[in-house]
Amino acid sequence: MPLKILVTVKRVEDPESKIKVKPDGTGIVTDGVNYKMNPFDEIGVEEALRLKEKHGGEVVVASIGGDKSITEIRSALAMGADRGVLLKHEGALDPLLVSALFQKLTEQEKPDLVLLGKQSIDDDQNQTGQILAERLAWAQATFASKKESLESEAEQKKQPGLVLSADGKKMQVVREVDGGVETLEVSLPAVVTVDLRLNKPRFASLPGIMKAKKKEVKEIATASLGVELQPKVVVKKLFEPPKRAGGAKVADVPELWKKLHEEAKVV
Amino acid sequence: MAGNPLLSDRDVDFVLHDLLDVGSLCRLPHFRDHSRETFELYLRSARRLAREVLYPSYRAVDEAPARLQGGAVTVHPALREIYPQLVALGTIAAPRPAEVGGQQLPHVVAAAADLYLMAGNLSATSFLGLTAGAGHLLESFGTEELRRTYMARMYSGEWSGTMALTEPQAGSSLGDVRTRARPTPAGHHLLDGAKIFISGGDQDLTGNIVHLVLARIEGAPPGVKGISLFCVPKLRPEAGRLVPNDVKVSGLIHKIGWRGFPSVVLSLGEEGDCRGWLVGQAHQGLAHMFQMMNEARIMVGCHGVATAAVAYQESLEYARTRPQGRPLASRDATRPQVPIVAHADVRRMLLRQKAIVEGGVALVLTVAHQADLAGHAEAPEARARAQRLLDLLTPVAKSFPAEWGFESNALAVQIHGGYGYSSEYLPEAWLRDQKLNSIHEGTTGIQGLDLLGRRAVADQGAGLRTLLEEIGSAAAQARQAGVDPAWPAAVERAGAALAETTMALAKKGLSGDAEGMLLHSTDYLRAACILVVSWLWLKQAAVAQAGLARDAASRPFHEGKLCAAQYFICTELPDLERLLRLCRDGEDSYGRMREEWF
Ligand SMILES: Cc1cc2nc3c(=O)[nH]c(=O)nc-3n(C[C@H](O)[C@H](O)[C@H](O)COP(=O)(O)OP(=O)(O)OC[C@H]3O[C@@H](n4cnc5c(N)ncnc54)[C@H](O)[C@@H]3O)c2cc1C
Repeated sequence: MPLKILVTVKRVEDPESKIKVKPDGTGIVTDGVNYKMNPFDEIGVEEALRLKEKHGGEVVVASIGGDKSITEIRSALAMGADRGVLLKHEGALDPLLVSALFQKLTEQEKPDLVLLGKQSIDDDQNQTGQILAERLAWAQATFASKKESLESEAEQKKQPGLVLSADGKKMQVVREVDGGVETLEVSLPAVVTVDLRLNKPRFASLPGIMKAKKKEVKEIATASLGVELQPKVVVKKLFEPPKRAGGAKVADVPELWKKLHEEAKVV
Repeated sequence: MAGNPLLSDRDVDFVLHDLLDVGSLCRLPHFRDHSRETFELYLRSARRLAREVLYPSYRAVDEAPARLQGGAVTVHPALREIYPQLVALGTIAAPRPAEVGGQQLPHVVAAAADLYLMAGNLSATSFLGLTAGAGHLLESFGTEELRRTYMARMYSGEWSGTMALTEPQAGSSLGDVRTRARPTPAGHHLLDGAKIFISGGDQDLTGNIVHLVLARIEGAPPGVKGISLFCVPKLRPEAGRLVPNDVKVSGLIHKIGWRGFPSVVLSLGEEGDCRGWLVGQAHQGLAHMFQMMNEARIMVGCHGVATAAVAYQESLEYARTRPQGRPLASRDATRPQVPIVAHADVRRMLLRQKAIVEGGVALVLTVAHQADLAGHAEAPEARARAQRLLDLLTPVAKSFPAEWGFESNALAVQIHGGYGYSSEYLPEAWLRDQKLNSIHEGTTGIQGLDLLGRRAVADQGAGLRTLLEEIGSAAAQARQAGVDPAWPAAVERAGAALAETTMALAKKGLSGDAEGMLLHSTDYLRAACILVVSWLWLKQAAVAQAGLARDAASRPFHEGKLCAAQYFICTELPDLERLLRLCRDGEDSYGRMREEWF
């Protein structure tokens, strides 16, 4: 049963770069900051490629952003995805809008499965996948993971962690929950968001990078999708958390109690 | 920050784009399929592979070197996991032309990616570097048959390659190679001899190993004019199978560094059945091999820079986090201790490391960029010019990272204090690794002889004249950007002094006094290294100064560049004058010294 899979990829700041808040709090200093594909999305691309290797089908990657986001699409194409779509957009967005835009794209592309990272490491919101499933009225499974470790043989053999049923109509998803994992079954089409322990993504190879140049990337202006592009969640100000004051030694338990009670006001 | 970043991405990007403008290479027909984006994606993959896969295994590989058992070498198990990933990245044939399976990536970008991989785990990457060089020899000089049988499998990483030159009596002096090659009516030769220090000479990573061997065909003239190059596989294809080719591993060198990369003693033809296929023309072996050796020298330069870079990053982080002592001005013992980077003398060491490492990055990438232009610039004159610079700078690109890099690696130990002297910390391991770079691929002594005896005086000093032009334009650029005018003046003076000394020494040589001319060839090489790296710091200063005026957010980066440029030009460059004086005056302490006086 070939699968058509749509995977979202976001361009984010590379946490290896030193990230600093601008003095006026309107954003971060972008100079000298490197960008990369959101690591959770990379896991999504890897999973899609494994599913395609096993079942056949097509992997389409999509990003929302400016021209530079094409680099992240190419990065996914270099890993092996088939084609890309850039929803071209400058300016602020929130998960409500992102999911609305991906809803439109999903309706156009009609994939069997949409894979998203469970969150992006810049804003860490963890909402887009859930809202998208709701908008589409599709089944959803979040935080996809697998039982085998990343050192296991299954991982060495690049087995997908998501398991397609024999009739191709359902997908089994192992998901991380507090204190363990649970296994869900979703009927397709579905939205799945992926977590860290699902797989170890491959590196784009140089031959893959050269092949990716020849793959199609379609650009769609977000304004043409009929979505009202006004974010409801607005970032007003960024600031660094206050520096932690140093600890102090206390002489005995009564003093500790007093400090907790009167200064920290936690007991 | 997760772990040691190996190199500063910001610095590498600065050199690639702000200093060398590598994006403009994509306008040349040979690189037309590339763009800044392909460069960036390739670098990203290399950085990640280096940081996430190579570096975490470095210590384990250093601690448990390869073993020789029953005539076969077993490498560290971590390398078996790493090797296929390096192959998959596509490094081996990256710069080769498409028709032989390469991707026509500019050498300068390939080298930048290699720096990360080498800094992550030198031993792991070395298998591929040698394979690339050996494959390229077959590509350039091999018959169609050899290219099809061997080169293609080497470029794909299925088989690996080595360079087998050295013999016990023929190290620096390759003209003394004795391995014999007897022609047979079947077309191949039968080889017989012993090779030592053959890196990658045996391993259990690839299905076959292809040795490129220097040997002497029976009846060949003595010396370098009688040496030929042969392709000698460990296993030879015969009737659709691979059969042993009488290449035996008779020993494994116990090395103080690069311990994951086995260097072996090879015995060829013990049973009279070691077949070799001539590569290129008979008796031209050394000339052919020079292609690989020149490439390998630049690669060794990259090894040196990478090994110094990873140690610099380690000591930088250490200096920022190790609290010790208090500022000179306020010794109040009730105040907390400061991190050692707050001490001027620690910053002296760190800045010296920075000047060496980033000067070295600029050096090896500049040389690789010249290799790209020499091969593919459109105008023949531009190609010739780049070739002149490349020829002149190769011994410098080999020796500066090896010699100054070793000092930089020693500083990494020093900055770690007593902990640096402990094998619990990594700087001592990198120091051991670094030492090899002044020995293999021609010792520093041999590089000095090569630079002064051949390259600097070739073609009436055409290479040096080109370098002086480059220095002139860097100086003009620096003055225009508003760099302290004392710096360009000092670098220009130094260039003129080196040229003058070269002429004086050449005259001495022409008058028949070769000994006198070359007595201080290593000092001459050191002077040339200082000059070239000062030129590159001047260029960086010009770009940084302009950046400072333009871009407030990058101020810390550009200020750091200017401090490092100042350090090199004001504290290192003055040594050039002393070195050149030794060359010119022919100071003869060791010239006069006799063996029995020691
Ligand atoms: C770890 C390792 C890996 C190696 N890998 C390879 C490999 O893969 N393939 C390969 O073929 N070789 C390899 N080599 C060999 C290496 O290239 C030689 O060791 C090197 O060229 C020096 O030769 P030698 O050891 O015989 O030293 P020697 O030539 O004996 O030199 C000893 C000293 O004398 C000096 N000296 C020698 N001749 C002169 C001269 N004419 N004028 C002034 N000074 C001189 C040298 O500078 C040096 O300081 C490797 C060596 C090592 C240690």
